[in-house]
Amino acid sequence: MTKLRKVALVALIALFSVSMVFAEGAKEASADGKVTLRVLNYIDMSEPNSANEVALVWDKFSAENPDIEIIREDLFNEPFHQKTESYVASGNVPDVLYMWPSGRSTSLHTTGSVQDLRPWLERDGLLDSFSAPSLAGQAGGYLGELPNGVTSSHIMFANTKLLADNGLAMPETLDDLIAMVDVLAPKGIQVIAMDNMDSWVMQSCLFSLVVGRYGAADWYDRLAAGEIKFTDDWFVKALEAIDTLYAKGVISRASLNSPYGNCRGEFAAGKAAFLIDGDWAAAAFMEDITTGKALLSREQQANDFEMVVFPALPGEVVSNTTSGVVGTGWGMSADLEMGTPKAEAAWRLIKYLQGEYVQEYRLSTGASFPSNLNVDVAKVIEEKNLEPFIGKRAEFYNTYGTTPVIDGVLHSDVYNIINVGLQEIGLGAKTPATVAAEVQKAWEAWAASNI
Amino acid sequence: MANIQDTKSTSVIIGKIVVYIILGIFTFLALYPICWLLINSFKTTQEFQLNKLGLPGKIDGYESTLINYKDAWVRGKFGGLILNSIFYTVVSVAFIIMFSFMCGFAFAKLQSKATFALYGSFTIGLLMTLQCIMVPLFLMANWTGLLDTRLGVLIPYIGIGLPMGVYLATEYIRSIPTALIESARIDGAKFFRIFAQIILPMCTPLAVTIAILSVTGTWNEFMLINILTSTPTLKSLPVGIQAFAGALSSDYGKQFAALVIGLLPMLAFYLVFHKEITKGVAAGAVKG
Amino acid sequence: MSDKEKAQRAGVNGEITLGDVKNEKKIRRKELTSKGEEKLAYWTLVLPGFLIYFAVMAFPTLFSFILSISNYYRGGQLFGPKAVDFKLVGFGSYAKVFQDEYFYVALKNNFKIVLISVFGQIPLGFILAYILNRGLVKFTGFFQTVIYLPCVISTVVIGILFKSFFSPTGAWPEVIRIFNPAYQPTVNANPMASVLLVILWMYTGTYLLIFIANLQKIDSSIIEAAKIDGASEFQALRYIILPALSGVIVTSAILAISGSLKSFDLIYVMTGGGPANRTTVLSIFMYDKAFKGAPNYALANAISTIMVIISFLLIGLTKLAEKKFGGKE
Repeated sequence: MTKLRKVALVALIALFSVSMVFAEGAKEASADGKVTLRVLNYIDMSEPNSANEVALVWDKFSAENPDIEIIREDLFNEPFHQKTESYVASGNVPDVLYMWPSGRSTSLHTTGSVQDLRPWLERDGLLDSFSAPSLAGQAGGYLGELPNGVTSSHIMFANTKLLADNGLAMPETLDDLIAMVDVLAPKGIQVIAMDNMDSWVMQSCLFSLVVGRYGAADWYDRLAAGEIKFTDDWFVKALEAIDTLYAKGVISRASLNSPYGNCRGEFAAGKAAFLIDGDWAAAAFMEDITTGKALLSREQQANDFEMVVFPALPGEVVSNTTSGVVGTGWGMSADLEMGTPKAEAAWRLIKYLQGEYVQEYRLSTGASFPSNLNVDVAKVIEEKNLEPFIGKRAEFYNTYGTTPVIDGVLHSDVYNIINVGLQEIGLGAKTPATVAAEVQKAWEAWAASNI
Repeated sequence: MANIQDTKSTSVIIGKIVVYIILGIFTFLALYPICWLLINSFKTTQEFQLNKLGLPGKIDGYESTLINYKDAWVRGKFGGLILNSIFYTVVSVAFIIMFSFMCGFAFAKLQSKATFALYGSFTIGLLMTLQCIMVPLFLMANWTGLLDTRLGVLIPYIGIGLPMGVYLATEYIRSIPTALIESARIDGAKFFRIFAQIILPMCTPLAVTIAILSVTGTWNEFMLINILTSTPTLKSLPVGIQAFAGALSSDYGKQFAALVIGLLPMLAFYLVFHKEITKGVAAGAVKG
Repeated sequence: MSDKEKAQRAGVNGEITLGDVKNEKKIRRKELTSKGEEKLAYWTLVLPGFLIYFAVMAFPTLFSFILSISNYYRGGQLFGPKAVDFKLVGFGSYAKVFQDEYFYVALKNNFKIVLISVFGQIPLGFILAYILNRGLVKFTGFFQTVIYLPCVISTVVIGILFKSFFSPTGAWPEVIRIFNPAYQPTVNANPMASVLLVILWMYTGTYLLIFIANLQKIDSSIIEAAKIDGASEFQALRYIILPALSGVIVTSAILAISGSLKSFDLIYVMTGGGPANRTTVLSIFMYDKAFKGAPNYALANAISTIMVIISFLLIGLTKLAEKKFGGKE
């Protein structure tokens, strides 16, 4: 009896394993004349428009291109980056994948896992269709991904109504901001709300701008050429500015315990005069199409809130700048050769994803600001009656100059030291001079093996 | 005499109050997060950001809503993911128990010089963290062609559950008197027969222990399956939850609804079997 | 054990249970073939489990050690046409780890977790188990269920919950305001404290269950007898119950130590190691090197090898303590 049971069990196991292996094998072989593309997509499932994105972007492409079958993998945040690193390590990169121009996608670029898309753009005569900054070389020195647009990693959202109610004017200088603390703090209102628990936030959303103000737009080039060092005035002064913001209470030290995204509600509810975040945060205040609710109504967006850059810093060499970086976009595996059906299908997909239709769609959801010059932003805003924040964002890009974002130009061995150093300054545990010296050391170590 | 009795009873009462307070704190700490999660899953993100602690509907213009659940369920395709999770959990736990008993019996009751090395290597496995072997595992799955297959998920799950299972089984079977086996040998029983007819029936409480420990582990695992599979239909529930609950997630309402959906199966499992679980965890966990 | 001994042992047993000549002959015949059968049985039973274990855990661990002394810093293909130039370069990555100031922060935090597990969870679990088991309160079943509850909830859920709970706009500042209305959240001087608190709460239930089961094994009539003889509750605890549980306490300590060093999920979700790496632990430190920014696999694998060595040392220490403890019993 037990023997019988055992035999049955073994048989069952064998059947299981065999059927599973075969089930997978069958899938690979299904391409009867169809081209199968493996795609790694980045999507925040909880984002209000994500359901629409699948229907309006992906399903539409499949309907228009019946000869291409897409196997899409949707991931978000850490799981996405883990998967990317694993793909790179195995050399088995998906055909088309969502990428950053540098930062967490650096290894895709530097190992040559993706290919230069410039030849494709040249072949199809599309070089003039994209804005010049968006076609600059990326972490690997080539166009590894075709970007959605250019992102400003800094926007200072201002609650102008709150300022007026408290008899305050828009700040022109850092000192104006510091003076606000005495007025607002007794009422329990923060001057600048930020979520600094994650170390990238301060570096990306504020410090990059400050570095640009003191080091000018070409600081990285001069640094790479050995003309300046991190221990020089420009960088130390920038660190000192952050130190001052914390010390004077313009930014609360408690923000270091605040998880990213936490203070948007506080800001909308009038508990802070300013919010510093990236341009992508604008969408968080707009209408959630699934519930019809918005943190800020259209009237509030139009009348009570503005998008500006951080005010003038004492001794800055350039003024009215923000920090910006080429946005995320789509890359193609280096294994695909131009001319083969698979590569052509992949290119058709990338062209579609950065084409007018998809970029207009992304503009209307507030996801990104187009890199494709054929999209007429003003016209789309008017025709679709988009929310005031989208118009204000467009205006923001036209008003201010741009300097590089630190984690867009420096290697992670260096910018990780900066990120943590900024938090150390926030805790009051290290002085700007110490942090500057550590950054210089990390830079020299990296430069020694790479430049 | 009466006086002494009195002071004793007051101190007993005070002691009892202290004990109840401690237990009360633990109860509160265990239930509060779940209630908080449940309450907030009925708020839209906008309402949550304005009111993080109170009941839904306390702020003008907002009322409690079920839309988060609807959206999360439809978008997350949780139905299929739950089935996958059940499949992975049941199959891998069954194999973990089976292999653990087999190894445990051999290590505890059969003579071999290999036991020291083999059993020792299993104990080292108890100390390994998943993060250490993640990248090598991915590379190996890629070489063997097991990447993105169900088998490629099951094998690592079984392997990862084995050290704990083998450790518990070996210690447990060791405590079974050897005389029992020897007398069966004298009766002419072969080792396989002894294993099937004597050892296995005696190990039922241990099976429950291993099952519970590996069910919670396997059910909640997300890092490995995320790396080893790409096709959406092969992934499990925690991967789906993670898609809503990342650190950068923008919609808290749906995130909370997804978390509740992720929580419910385990919670139901626990509430139904809590007697067996509380007994089972302890029965085999420690040689007494 | 030699064949002779084995035959002897079997014979002794045989005498007790059976003891007639016919059977003795049968035994002798069995003994001759049994060595081969035992070997066959041993390997058939062990191999399926061991092979899977070896492939999934043991081999990757060795692999991880090899990567740690190699030049495989940046990842890339190991084989095939685009393979990277793979060389063993020695222990440079280890030196780098020891030069990193945050390695020591992580190490210190790991030890804090070990301490809170061994000297927090285990005593607390014991006290609660004692209270519940001795019937000092009502609703013991309910409390037992509730205290173990956190162990079945996924750590991701718990991490997200407490992240919101301890944020400056979360519930924690509100709770403090009940006692001190003027309280303004400031940066937490010791962010690790909140992490330790959650860890203490989460895993106490496991030890509670272990202790309850073993307390139930102690014959309650002994305790009752002692009480009739005038022993206080405390004396019964001190002289009867604790000595009986010393073995269980050591095993729990081993479980606690190996668990503590592996702690990753909760902290990863709750704080991500921040602010300024103040709450990082070795596993997060390692993860950051492998998956945050450009990876450095050699460095990451060096850290994981160090983690394994530390676990060994700690478990060895506990085993030593057990020997001392065991002697007293």
